[in-house]
Amino acid sequence: MLSYALRRTWQMVPTLAGVVLLVFFLFKWFGGDPATIIAGLGATQQQIEAIRHTLGLDRPWWVQLGIFLREIVTLNWGASWATNEPVAHLFLTRLPATLTVMIPILVLQTVVSIPFGLGVAVVRGSLTDRAAMAITTVALSVSFLVYVLVGQWLFGFYLAWFPIQGWSDSVLTNLIHYAPLPILLAMFVSIAPTTRLYRSFFLDELGHDYVRTARARGASEARVLLRHVMRNATIPILTNIATELPGVVVGSFLIEVFFSIPGLGREILLAVNRSDYPVIQAVTIYLALLTMLINLLADLLYRVVDPRVRLN
Amino acid sequence: MTTSSTAQDGGVAAPLLAVRDLRVSFRLGKSKPFEAVRGVSFEIAPRSTVALVGESGSGKSVSAMSIVRLLPDNAIVDAASRAEFGGVDLLHAPLDQVRALRGRDISFVFQEPQSSLNPVFTVGDQVAEALRLHTKLTRSRARARAEELFSEVGIPQPRDRMNAYPHELSGGQQQRVMIAAAIACEPRLLIADEPTTALDVTVQRQIIELLRGLQQRYAMSILFISHDLGLVGEFADAVVVMREGQVRERGSTVGIFGAPQDPYTRSLIACRPRLDQRPRRLPTIEDFLAAGGEQTAEPAPRPLRPNHGPQLIEAAGLRKQYRLKTGLLRRRTIEAVRDASFTLERGRTLGVVGESGSGKTTLGLLLMRLVEATAGQVRFDGEDVLRMKREPLMKFRRRVQVIFQNPYASLNPRFTIGQILAEPMRIHAIGADESERNARIAALLDRVGLARASLHKYPHEFSGGQRQRIAIARALSLRPDLLICDESVSALDVSVQANVLNLLLDLQDEFGISYLFISHDLAVVKYMADEILVMNGGDIVERGSAEAIYRDPQHDYTKKLLASIPRGYMPPSHV
Amino acid sequence: MNAIASFAAVPDSESSPGVWQLAWRRLRGDRVAMVALAVVAAYAALVVASLVGLVAADWTREVGVPYANPRFLGPTVDESVKIERPSGPRVDLSAVDPLAPRYAEWDARAAQIQSVSAPHLSTLTFGGDRLGRDVIAKAIKGTQVSILVGVFAALLATAIGTALGAVAGYFGGVAGDLMEWFYNVFTAVPGILLIFAFAAVFGRGTATVVLILALTGWTAVYRLVRAEYLKHRGREYVLAAEAIGASHFSRMFEHILPNVSHVVLVQLSLLVVFFIKAEVILSFLGLGVPIDSVSWGTMLNEAQSELILGKWWQLAAATAFMAVFVTAFSTLTDALRDALDPRLRQG
Repeated sequence: MLSYALRRTWQMVPTLAGVVLLVFFLFKWFGGDPATIIAGLGATQQQIEAIRHTLGLDRPWWVQLGIFLREIVTLNWGASWATNEPVAHLFLTRLPATLTVMIPILVLQTVVSIPFGLGVAVVRGSLTDRAAMAITTVALSVSFLVYVLVGQWLFGFYLAWFPIQGWSDSVLTNLIHYAPLPILLAMFVSIAPTTRLYRSFFLDELGHDYVRTARARGASEARVLLRHVMRNATIPILTNIATELPGVVVGSFLIEVFFSIPGLGREILLAVNRSDYPVIQAVTIYLALLTMLINLLADLLYRVVDPRVRLN
Repeated sequence: MTTSSTAQDGGVAAPLLAVRDLRVSFRLGKSKPFEAVRGVSFEIAPRSTVALVGESGSGKSVSAMSIVRLLPDNAIVDAASRAEFGGVDLLHAPLDQVRALRGRDISFVFQEPQSSLNPVFTVGDQVAEALRLHTKLTRSRARARAEELFSEVGIPQPRDRMNAYPHELSGGQQQRVMIAAAIACEPRLLIADEPTTALDVTVQRQIIELLRGLQQRYAMSILFISHDLGLVGEFADAVVVMREGQVRERGSTVGIFGAPQDPYTRSLIACRPRLDQRPRRLPTIEDFLAAGGEQTAEPAPRPLRPNHGPQLIEAAGLRKQYRLKTGLLRRRTIEAVRDASFTLERGRTLGVVGESGSGKTTLGLLLMRLVEATAGQVRFDGEDVLRMKREPLMKFRRRVQVIFQNPYASLNPRFTIGQILAEPMRIHAIGADESERNARIAALLDRVGLARASLHKYPHEFSGGQRQRIAIARALSLRPDLLICDESVSALDVSVQANVLNLLLDLQDEFGISYLFISHDLAVVKYMADEILVMNGGDIVERGSAEAIYRDPQHDYTKKLLASIPRGYMPPSHV
Repeated sequence: MNAIASFAAVPDSESSPGVWQLAWRRLRGDRVAMVALAVVAAYAALVVASLVGLVAADWTREVGVPYANPRFLGPTVDESVKIERPSGPRVDLSAVDPLAPRYAEWDARAAQIQSVSAPHLSTLTFGGDRLGRDVIAKAIKGTQVSILVGVFAALLATAIGTALGAVAGYFGGVAGDLMEWFYNVFTAVPGILLIFAFAAVFGRGTATVVLILALTGWTAVYRLVRAEYLKHRGREYVLAAEAIGASHFSRMFEHILPNVSHVVLVQLSLLVVFFIKAEVILSFLGLGVPIDSVSWGTMLNEAQSELILGKWWQLAAATAFMAVFVTAFSTLTDALRDALDPRLRQG
């Protein structure tokens, strides 16, 4: 297990290097001139040149790459061009808000979709199944934006069951007061695709020979489903959760924008609109690293859960 | 449908299971339902072994599964059908009642043990579960009993093995686990659906012996489903022969083998190549069905080909190694073929026989340069094959062709037959123009016995045997000197095998092609080959003429292989 | 040449159906799928018509009053209220207003000049937006933009993913490792973030959106195609092709690709839907199509502030056009996948 973990960690290095190179060259070749952006409109040529020199933009590209690398390793990204807030600080303060909303969503969505998916898989081909599939297809054809727009208007404005927007400093207040509406709306939207996905996992397992064996030994349908099939289906389900986990950190930026939640997703969006390069670059690289770590953990977890993968 | 004149074993005792007029069809979307079983009746006496024999599509598996209502949702069982077990008609009893029987009074062993066992539970837990479903044993007592069962079915180190997962066991051991779970509750009837088909022939022998021993000890009946008449002839008390959903003949083993009435039964018995004979042609089903049941006279034996002809292939020290990464730095080496040396003369057939993992298939692939050798030398008509570059390699490809095992995978499903047959000629620029190539294709189709209209059809419209003929036609289009037959008839039904083997022999007579005939089936190899190589674990352990190998095997492995071959029914005087 | 003669004499039996023909037959029997196909075809016609300017060419014209009501609602009350003109003779303001003597002259002159601009309508078919533009025209134009962006992005992503996946799956080795590295780099960054990074750098624009989506979405196709090529390259029909001397190129594209194309087609269809939804979100956020263009996303953006005012028609129009298309297209994709499923094929 340990040697596997080490090998995988070692394999992460070229990928991380690739991401760094991608980000560096992407912004260097296609992005606007940072000096002009920082100087703002109406700046003189002199001011722009001065900023260039400070940023080291007049040095050769490999030197710039070196500076870039040093910044990554020392976790020193400087400050946001727009607000002058240190990027690391930005990261740390925005993350809790994102997680307060996203983690309940991920948990609830999984917990609800599993019985739904199993139920629909069991009655495959029946009217219930086809109706469920039709409803999810139509539900998925409406943009997420519409759900949030209408939901916010309906529950926040018209019925006034929840506050339209807002956030506080206390996690508890957030969870009880401000988070429920966004969580409910996001969950409502994501249940459809997740249920369909889990349904396909369960159907896949139901087609395997070991199900026939269990029935041949006299196991009841309930036992076959809840013990034999479920245990096997948890493998792809866990893999799926692990794949979605890195996305959790970026958060549903849409939710954060609509509900004015000061999370990481909204921050990234603001940065994009303001051409705030340090923030975007930093977030991209650190999230890439985080994604790779989560994938590694998922792989290790996979080896615990699936006996076939354990031995070489 | 004919019944043998000899009375069934078991005498007047009430049958354990009586199946009457079983009819099963499957709903397939909008088209008419497909009738898989059309009026099947048979009985199983207590403490006896009944074999249900038939080729693919005969409905034998469906019949067995329908007894305990294990069929898929789109199956329709006729209301008039009956399956009486212990006074209850299982086909129409409440499902709960039938479920209670499953695993307790009637249990199953399936064909593919690897996929039939649940991959995420230990084998010990699975056998214990079989016990706890029908008895009130506690978890620890069930596990203890499971351990006993493990040693009963011959699994070494049962205590350790209990905690293993299915994929950690060999095919034979997995099947033993399945059997352990099946006998756990001491059933009265054990239904074994092709339990040894997926196993090597030596392992097959062990499993059969195991089942026979268990039957005696537990005084149970066995319904043994198989396509191999020769196998069941050894130990079954009664045989039921099925074809296309109907029973063709049923009776005691003595009766079926001694005096088979039905032409289909007779062809099944006669079409298998026998170890002690070597006729010029194998009899085929058509011979029996056309002749109206008359048994044709034994064809004359085929003469051996002279072995002082020119040498076509000379292989020396062939070796193939695979290297796998197992740890951070460690690597493991697998030797698929180890130091193989042999020769093959023009116009002769060299047989290669061995079980899975013996390296026989790799040998063929090495000769064709479809796999690159790690070391060694191969001379084809004097030229060094392994170091050939592009142009000479293309010329070499014209002279050596291959027929693969799986007729369903060796033809591109997206090509028409015409395209498949034209491609080799197109690549090697044979034939001056389109019309000449078409003429050749038509001639090829004639030669292998297929309709010319096949040109425009796709592979999925043809049966397994027909597809193998298309593959033969494709290989033939280049007029090769050497044809490598890699398990070419192993995936075919017995009745179809004979056809294809006869075709291959005819082609050899007509065109003087040499064959490298690879198979796990010693009887078939002995029939086809002039000389035989026996392989085990990457080594060639014995070589000799076909007769010599059979009459006087030298190596222990060869002897073991010969002993494992099913001999069919042996009347008492032949012991 | 007896062989040729006898060959020619054989009556040409009906060509047996290939995979695509079998799939089409199966699809034809599925009524729901046929309805979906008709709807998609209708949308395709609409897109083409809008592209060449047959319909909705003048969507930018402000034909109605701001926030014009839909016709079935009738004009808003405000519009019909008019301030009454005071009656009575005109007062002479010459004493205070230096221009007063000339009013009569100007009035006469103004009456002679024809007014070219049409008066703003008080109601439109399905209402107007903030600037009085026809919502239906915008919806149609938006349909064209959103669908074309989705389709082109999907085509580009599929082309990239298939090419790279085929090479990686078939050859393996160093080329395969290089592709894998590419793939790992692109998937290390969460998708939305990658889109944002590209958007930050490339800016707005229709072609830009297509490029951004394609550069982010090729990875799904790559993974699929690579797995398929890995699976097929060891298959016996490919080995047989090698045995008769077929080149690498022939094996990759003449032999394996036709066996993989149905999988790629389904993936392409899924990408179209995914990209349309992504484009809508990007345009909503102001990162998608340029300001002078319209898409379902920009319409939803405007709807955000309109909803509070009680003006719901732009939201409804955009949602309806999008929902009908995506539902029909998704249904068609599902039916296509079922029709192409090899397990259902006979034989």
